[in-house]
Amino acid sequence: MTDMPPPDRDDDSLLAAEYVLRLLTPAEKRAFEARFAAEPALLDEIDAWSERLSGMNAEFSEETPRAEVKDALMARLFGEATPAPGFWQRLGLWQGLSFASLLLAGFFAWQNIQTAPTEAPGRGPLYVSEIAAEDQSLRVLAVYDSDAGELQINRTAGQAATGRALELWAIAEGAAPVSLGVLPDTQTAGVPLPEEFHAGVADLTLAISDEPPGGSPTGQPTGAVLAVGRVTEL
Amino acid sequence: MSSAEEIEDLIGKVSLGDRRAFDQLYNLTNAKLFGVCLRVLNNRASAEDVLQETYMKVWRYAERYARGGTSPMTWLITIARNTAIDKLRAHRDSEDIDGMSETLAGAGPTPEQVAVATGEAGRITDCMKELEEPRDKAVRGAYLEGLSYAELAEKLNVPLNTIRTWLRRSLISLRECMER
Repeated sequence: MTDMPPPDRDDDSLLAAEYVLRLLTPAEKRAFEARFAAEPALLDEIDAWSERLSGMNAEFSEETPRAEVKDALMARLFGEATPAPGFWQRLGLWQGLSFASLLLAGFFAWQNIQTAPTEAPGRGPLYVSEIAAEDQSLRVLAVYDSDAGELQINRTAGQAATGRALELWAIAEGAAPVSLGVLPDTQTAGVPLPEEFHAGVADLTLAISDEPPGGSPTGQPTGAVLAVGRVTEL
Repeated sequence: MSSAEEIEDLIGKVSLGDRRAFDQLYNLTNAKLFGVCLRVLNNRASAEDVLQETYMKVWRYAERYARGGTSPMTWLITIARNTAIDKLRAHRDSEDIDGMSETLAGAGPTPEQVAVATGEAGRITDCMKELEEPRDKAVRGAYLEGLSYAELAEKLNVPLNTIRTWLRRSLISLRECMER
């Protein structure tokens, strides 16, 4: 084998390889990237080399970073960009909800489900949340029925203001609230919980906000957050 | 290791702004990507910084991941590798590069690791063996450690003015072998 330069027809493929290997100088890299728009075949060459060389990926061993890295990352990404400002600050106020009241609430809710004519009580863990205003002017009990995949709602105090609606929200840790719909005027209701929340139901926070009739027009809470409750496993 | 479909699915959700999916994607892939950063940077603090930058890019550019192109893990590793190498280059001009030789001459993959690499890509290990030593080390050093041409020339005792032709020959041999 000699060290003569390789033939020209190979040049683009080799540039692609060097691009993947990060061996091009900044000027060469820019010149190569400038051709992408007009010559999309270059991107295929890049993909082909990525795939060829990816066989070496097995040689990268797995290593565990400190847990703080994830916390810092999440704070950098989502820390100051919460969709509804003030929402999380409000949540903080409510997290001191007494566990005893939840236990009691859960007991009644469980009885409630048990006596429902259609189904036997779930045998799995019981998830319950008391979504309550600080002054108890609005209090809604939610019990997760894992068989039906829905929340059994029992509004034990309060109601929507005249000409307004109460909208229920599910909030996964660190995520934006997801609407579960407007609560009906009836005292009890079954509210389907989207499947994405089923596995992590124990870590959900539920909240009720004051919204125009029909619910928030934006997909995020627009009115005051009236009541908040964390889901607890009983 | 989770399946490619699972990771692909999560990247798809992340491209729609799904934070839960992003959380899950991090949990499933951070150990591998941190391994990549650490291998290139050889310093835990820098590797942790780069790991964060990597996932910030993943969050921002997830919609650019195209199904059916490269495998999702390869895509993620490419981002981690490129980010780590850029960091390395930014630092290295002023730094002594002694101490790189041990990592460069690192052991080859175990049979188990080879089994993990699938399909066409897995063949590179066999083809690597067909390269005359130390040409395989050049490709490996560039890919796994992010070495530049100048660094490869120094470590492999190849004149700087021929290292590029030298490595390109290796790449052509590799490609020919893998296409056989």
